[in-house]
Amino acid sequence: MSSDILIGYTGMVSFGHSVFFGIGMYGAAAALLTVRPPNLWLALLYGLVAAALVAVFVAYFSTRLRDIYFAITTLVFSQIFYVIIFTWTEVTGGENGLTFRQPPLAIPGVPSAAFTPVTLHWFVLGVVTLSYLLLRRVTQSPFGMVLQSIRENEPRTRAIGYHVERYKIVAVMLSGLVAGLAGVLYAIQNKFVAPDFVFFVVSGEVVIFNVMGGMGTLVGPVAGAAFFLLLREGLSRFWTEYYLIPVGIIFTLMVIWIPQGLLGFAKRRLNQ
Amino acid sequence: MTVSQSNAAPADGRGGAPILRTEGLTVRFGGLTALDNVSLAVPPGEIRAIIGPNGAGKSTLFNCVTGVLRPTAGRIVFEGEDIAGLPPHRISRKAIARSYQITNILPGATVLENVRIAVQSRHHAWNLLRHHRSYADVLDRARAVLDAVGLRADEEELAANLSHGAQRNLEIGIALATEPRLLCLDEPTAGMSVAETRATVELVRRIARNLTILIVEHDMEVVMGLAQTITVLHYGEVLAEGAPAEIQANPRVQEVYLKT
Repeated sequence: MSSDILIGYTGMVSFGHSVFFGIGMYGAAAALLTVRPPNLWLALLYGLVAAALVAVFVAYFSTRLRDIYFAITTLVFSQIFYVIIFTWTEVTGGENGLTFRQPPLAIPGVPSAAFTPVTLHWFVLGVVTLSYLLLRRVTQSPFGMVLQSIRENEPRTRAIGYHVERYKIVAVMLSGLVAGLAGVLYAIQNKFVAPDFVFFVVSGEVVIFNVMGGMGTLVGPVAGAAFFLLLREGLSRFWTEYYLIPVGIIFTLMVIWIPQGLLGFAKRRLNQ
Repeated sequence: MTVSQSNAAPADGRGGAPILRTEGLTVRFGGLTALDNVSLAVPPGEIRAIIGPNGAGKSTLFNCVTGVLRPTAGRIVFEGEDIAGLPPHRISRKAIARSYQITNILPGATVLENVRIAVQSRHHAWNLLRHHRSYADVLDRARAVLDAVGLRADEEELAANLSHGAQRNLEIGIALATEPRLLCLDEPTAGMSVAETRATVELVRRIARNLTILIVEHDMEVVMGLAQTITVLHYGEVLAEGAPAEIQANPRVQEVYLKT
């Protein structure tokens, strides 16, 4: 959903989403390891602030470039952060990552309790739903319409008086923030963080989610992710480590036959 | 016609301070001089046509005035302020708008959205949380512009589905929606049928009541019918300038350009 703001709405393909996701994770880890007792909201705050700061930094440089150059720049940044996290063992735990305790679910006014699988599930679902609603509103806001105008025709958007770069920076920031949020949730759920999640392959998967599910729909990438993971689980049962071959073939066929993605395809079918 | 009536230049200001003035405007691309020491002054409220053979520098002049190109030398003074080298979005905010020779719209958006987004560039552009259709002021203004360019009935149509002529008028509508005081029209009737051309000439004449227009056009009938003053460019230099009748009678202009 976060990356769809860039890919689907603004037309900027980012290969750096693993950075925002990863920084969100490590931000949450920092809060959970340094503050006693571990606090859920502080983990969220640390993760989001860290992701937003990194997003501003990445955005400042990458939004000066367009198309493939933008994609490459985000890719480069994702590798830079990967290497930093991988090698800075004292702080990040290096290759081994960090493990920590899960914070209790503490809602003001309600007695705090440790997460059970059920409450954790509802908590994550709640946060995701809220951020979906927020993002949907943003895509329909005047600001969101400017992003779509940039996708449709960037020089024209400039010519009618929009400072395109500034809009792109905010778009990357927003996208980074939501990816960071996903990272925080992931970290809380799994009680550990590792540099693997910052590796650019994760970003690539995010782009695949977008393409499979349908760009510019917000929900599409979620469907794409679900489909991708189901495909992976299902196929790896029969093909073991070679499962990526059929996944790749299916992906290629999907790009050729339903380039609008699963959701776009379903939408068109329903409209007929 | 009520579009951009606010803070429009006084249409009777002829003879007053020019709204747009270029001084020694020069653009070089490597060894090629596209504009060579061009100085011209456009009084407020005028329809000024820029004509000349292909490659004479007309589009380069437009690109300088609208910030797409940074001039190599010279000044562009708009309402007393040097705007040469400012980026396009800043120039747009100074109330200079342009239409394009090659239709340049948002093809995947509706006709209304094409104009609405242009209006919005001046109002509430940074709001992230309200629905874009909830701003009645922006919508009203966008619809007024569509009325002005005769596209109100097609407002929910995708811009890509419009006929060529209608797209050309939408092009003008987008420019008008930014509330300009100077409007640069780059071949507004290019590729239009005779009837469409006539309608567009009428349209330009109507909107010219409230603003200053700079127009590049190849159709001589259109130029002679619309312009109060014509500037002829040739190899990047001003070859002649004057009223349509003078230009038509000018032997040098006839030699390089007007064959009829």
